[in-house]
Amino acid sequence: MAKTKIKKKISRRKFLQGTGAAFAVATAAPTVEAQNPATIATAEAVPRTTIRITVNGTPRRIEVEDRWTLVEVLRDHFGMTGTKIGCDRGECGACTVLLDGKPVYSCSNLAVWADGRSVQTIEGLAQNGRLDPLQQAFIEHDGPQCGFCTSGQLMSAKGLLTRNPHPNANDVRAAMTGNLCRCSNYNHYVEAILAAAKGGSR
Amino acid sequence: MRQQNAPMPPLKTVGHATPRIDAAERVTGKATYTNDVRLPGMLYARILRSAHPHARIRRIDISKALALPGVKTILTHENCEIVWGAGGISGGQQYNDDIKKITKHRRYVFNNPVRFVGDPVAAVAAVNRHVAEEALRLIQVDYEVLNFVLEPEEALKPDAVKIWPEGNLSLNAQNQAQPATTRRGNVEDGFRASDVVFEDRYTTAFVHNAQMEPRSCIATWEGDKLTLYTPTQGISNCRSDTARDLGIPQEKVQIICQYMGGGFGNKNQNQDADLITAMLSKQAGAPVKLEFTRKDDFIGVHGRWPTVQYYKVGVSRDGVLKAIQLRGYSGMGPYRKNTGAIGGIDLYQCPHIESVIYPVYTNKTVSGNFRGPEYPQGFYGIESMMDDVAYKLKMDPVEFILKNMTRKSRDEVPYTNYSLEECIHRGAEAFEWKKRWRPQPGSDGGPIKRGAGVSFMAFRSALGRSNAVIRLDAKGKYSVFVGVTDIGAGAKTTMAMIAAEALAVPLSKVEVVWGDTDRCPYSVGESGSRTTIQTGYAVIQAADALKRQIAEKGLPTGQNVLVGSASPNPVLDGKVRAAFGAHFVEVEVDTDLGTVRVLKYLAVHDSGRIMNPLAAKSQIKGGAIMGIGMALHEDLIYDRRNGQPLTAGFYGARLMTHRDAPEIEVMFIESDDGYGPYGAKSIGESSKVPAVAAVANAVFNAIGWRMKDLPITRDKILGALA
Repeated sequence: MAKTKIKKKISRRKFLQGTGAAFAVATAAPTVEAQNPATIATAEAVPRTTIRITVNGTPRRIEVEDRWTLVEVLRDHFGMTGTKIGCDRGECGACTVLLDGKPVYSCSNLAVWADGRSVQTIEGLAQNGRLDPLQQAFIEHDGPQCGFCTSGQLMSAKGLLTRNPHPNANDVRAAMTGNLCRCSNYNHYVEAILAAAKGGSR
Repeated sequence: MRQQNAPMPPLKTVGHATPRIDAAERVTGKATYTNDVRLPGMLYARILRSAHPHARIRRIDISKALALPGVKTILTHENCEIVWGAGGISGGQQYNDDIKKITKHRRYVFNNPVRFVGDPVAAVAAVNRHVAEEALRLIQVDYEVLNFVLEPEEALKPDAVKIWPEGNLSLNAQNQAQPATTRRGNVEDGFRASDVVFEDRYTTAFVHNAQMEPRSCIATWEGDKLTLYTPTQGISNCRSDTARDLGIPQEKVQIICQYMGGGFGNKNQNQDADLITAMLSKQAGAPVKLEFTRKDDFIGVHGRWPTVQYYKVGVSRDGVLKAIQLRGYSGMGPYRKNTGAIGGIDLYQCPHIESVIYPVYTNKTVSGNFRGPEYPQGFYGIESMMDDVAYKLKMDPVEFILKNMTRKSRDEVPYTNYSLEECIHRGAEAFEWKKRWRPQPGSDGGPIKRGAGVSFMAFRSALGRSNAVIRLDAKGKYSVFVGVTDIGAGAKTTMAMIAAEALAVPLSKVEVVWGDTDRCPYSVGESGSRTTIQTGYAVIQAADALKRQIAEKGLPTGQNVLVGSASPNPVLDGKVRAAFGAHFVEVEVDTDLGTVRVLKYLAVHDSGRIMNPLAAKSQIKGGAIMGIGMALHEDLIYDRRNGQPLTAGFYGARLMTHRDAPEIEVMFIESDDGYGPYGAKSIGESSKVPAVAAVANAVFNAIGWRMKDLPITRDKILGALA
């Protein structure tokens, strides 16, 4: 499995230490995705890898710098800015996306780790122009105040309802505890998720 | 004027629970926040910050960083001498031309000496953020490390290092090193007239605003015109501040902020980030996006000022206040951004009061406004004190509050209406205060003890200047132009609802144009809980103007439009407007573990007429939960040996999470005092004001031990009970 190989090669620690030329990851042919030319201007020393990821059902191929995080690729290279960066260090959950259906912090996953995998973002939550029941419930219960944490809350909630379609309030709080909301609209988020779960079981 | 507290006839749109008009954008990821904006050829910027709490920069070598491929420009104190006016103000009041002239302790965007860990030293713009980060590591700074001081009381000692040549007592608006002093009567007379006098000391911690959206800014110049995309709570004052600081006319500055990820007071005015990004962009000749990391935001952007509060309170044996004396110290960090006031005394009726507050420079992160600026910390102090006095007089705290709380503003000026008694009576009844409160604190047997606490508040709801323009086109669309940003309180929706009500049209006919100084008129900005009152009132006036136009000219046809505009500046005739409220809390303390759990929380608020009950409840619940966090968790802890902040981040500072947050019950007592839009008063900040004190008082009732230092963490509880 390509993803585990790469994961072993590039630890988060080494990644944070900078762009050491230690990794001989092959750089591949020109990319399919259009890139901002600025991002490749000084890249000759930076290891690059071409990855394939399915984003909201669409297969994509992109050459990434190995140091790019998943959220960076989503926001800066796929232009999907619905996923937010609140801390960029795995503390707040604003960047939560579903990776193979499981909620993860996309700031704390390198893009190369997502090679061969499937990502669902907030942009892919509504299906065929119809809001997900969670989105509808978030609107009705006034979940978002400033709204900056909302995409992450929704994706965590989606992950929860996928694995547990009938949670109680404590299940919701436990599953959502990695998603901070400084407006502190926790009550309304929990209500909304419970309401969406109820609606879905009908 | 409507009779006080008279029942209010229902309105058509206002007063009905309404989902936000932009809620769909917020739940689909389509809402565009500052950092979502991307301009062609845009560079990315990062800031290098001081590694020391106090140091002089002997030499700064940027040559290696500049030589890194992809680095476009670097700013330091040597090539950028811009003063961030709103970042350091004599007296800490609003930044303006007058205060700009006299302010002595100016804050440059890059300072030398640097005065706290996090003071900006250099800014780099490069082709991408990784190169910019790389470049920061190549900047060599030769520091002469200076002594530092972290605590305000220590900073006033004669042997403390002087952060500014005049000493560490921050200068007031007249540039004098004097504490802020308020007196009424004579406290010494009051103490002589008292049967009992109590003294105590309370402290509160630095609490960061910690809004979810880290600061970022995008700057671009077209000729001599600057456009800034920036998360600000007030596009109008951000524009005037930025123009003033850069020395360019206001018309040459455009501020755009539409969706904004929270600020709670720390995105007021303009920011150093705005000025740095503007200058980087100018120097590089390209658009620049500056991004703060979370740590940048935590140490580089202000939080609530920590305080030390000494109270002396004199009472009669039957529990009537005779005198209150407060000596307080507020740690402002090395620059004076806001007042450093400690509020609370003003909410008691008492013939003799004296409040002397020292706003003090320290080498910690800068302090400034955070939701209810002077009250949550001040109220924790004085309400703990008063709670304690009540117990010592063997009185029920509710009874003590009812006997002594404000009935006229500062005991002198009547309120436009008054419902504090009702808030407390109805709250106590609904909460079942008599059942939950322990007459003997700490009396529960067993390791798990329960107790109840109460606090109250009155919060300013002043009227003031604002503007609105409403345009009607031939298709019947009403466009409301207001200079608000939507920071989370739902201003955009509120303005649309008020317009729909005033125009007697369905909400769906109204759109709001907001968050862009080139398109919108002046607004006071989303601070001081003023938007609904001030801009909402302007919307009603603009609707009236438009209705007069329609009556005169008929509905527009073809390409014609009709425009109604208003710039009201309503005043109160010798009265004070205030929102009122009382919070009741029941907690459970595990005395083996030191943990506190909130079992029941009731927030009773009179914020006049509630415009949108749905959003208003969110505001109250959020403020209460934030208050619980301030009472029990949050702190920016410093290493006393080296002045380094240790808990700069969401996790370290221990923000409230889904699991920590209890269910908050909200009760509104609505009234219309005849002022403001349909009688609306302030909401946003007021919900945090009594929360901290109510929780602390409940902890006392549960364990019988007064916790005098915030936050009330496990170690402190275990230490107290050991």
